[in-house]
Amino acid sequence: MSILSDQHSGRSGARDIPVWDPLVRLIHWSLLATIVVNGALTDVEGDLHEWVGYVALGLVAIRLVWAVVGPRPARFTAFPPNPMRAIRHLRAMRAGDDTVHLSHNPLGALMVYNIWATVLAIGVTGYMMTTLRFFGIDWVETAHELAFDWLMISVALHVAGVALDSWRSGVNLVRAMVSGSKRIPHGKNVE
Amino acid sequence: MKRAIWPADGKTRRATTLAAIILLQALCALFFIGDVVTDLLEGAAFVDLHFGVETLAAIALLIGVAFMMLELRLLLSRMDQMDTGLMIARGRMAEVMQGFFDDWHLTEAERDVAIMVLKGLDNTPIAEVRQTAAGTVRAQTTSIYAKSGTSGRPQFVSLFVEELMSGDFEVPPSTSPRALTESAR
Repeated sequence: MSILSDQHSGRSGARDIPVWDPLVRLIHWSLLATIVVNGALTDVEGDLHEWVGYVALGLVAIRLVWAVVGPRPARFTAFPPNPMRAIRHLRAMRAGDDTVHLSHNPLGALMVYNIWATVLAIGVTGYMMTTLRFFGIDWVETAHELAFDWLMISVALHVAGVALDSWRSGVNLVRAMVSGSKRIPHGKNVE
Repeated sequence: MKRAIWPADGKTRRATTLAAIILLQALCALFFIGDVVTDLLEGAAFVDLHFGVETLAAIALLIGVAFMMLELRLLLSRMDQMDTGLMIARGRMAEVMQGFFDDWHLTEAERDVAIMVLKGLDNTPIAEVRQTAAGTVRAQTTSIYAKSGTSGRPQFVSLFVEELMSGDFEVPPSTSPRALTESAR
């Protein structure tokens, strides 16, 4: 009896599953804002650059705390930093498996940790440049700039990954990071 | 896009606001902690009133953040449970309907019509959907009311409402929202 079994009537079988809580989403987009502002807009010698950098550090710090105490999809346990899982995921992808992951997919999880670590590295080296001890020391500045270049590469890969996964799985991931829920097309496996 | 950035639903809106405040207050807390640490490194003492107050403010902010994070988590899990409850109710409604229809020995056609009656459709649209004459539908509904022992549409509908309201739904502890969403596929 199709009328009875249809759980989301008028939705052509797609279902919305809440995955990203508001704090995760706010941190995500705020972090993007700090990267854009500091990468393109602020004077790198100025106070504003410094403060925006501290905010970025703070955002990652808060996210790390939330990854311990937050709801399930936001927690470390939902997306462990496990390269083996990522390799398995790649293999499954090549075999045509298009299972939808409710949290980050294993490959995306690695990118998440990579971006957090890179932002932390940029923030710490940036802070070091403001201290008397490390001021004017070349390797710190080089590390700061290299880390930023790496961040740009990472962000590009991140965006490409999101586009690829959205296209493959039919779940609009950008929309999920805005509204908080993934709209899973009918008949997709969920993990 | 149905769910905009600023959600209409009260609980969702509350969660968003709470998250925003957590973010702001946590950043403030980090600022104060950084300030306190710098002062400490520069040799400040807690007996200094200004420094003492600053330290206290940092601690208070941290406690506030911790509590709000807890609160947000509770709110989110309550919202999750509400979703689960709704799904159970939907599943239960389907069960109740099936059970009644079986008891009354409704024919396939009558079941279809009964569902549409419960969904609030009048005889004319039902006839259009089923591509039959309005008279046929009238005969079918009369038969449905007779078999169910009700006097007409309002009493028929209220049978189901009453059934849903009388029994308290016990939520089995094993039905996690995850398990339910899996089974809803």
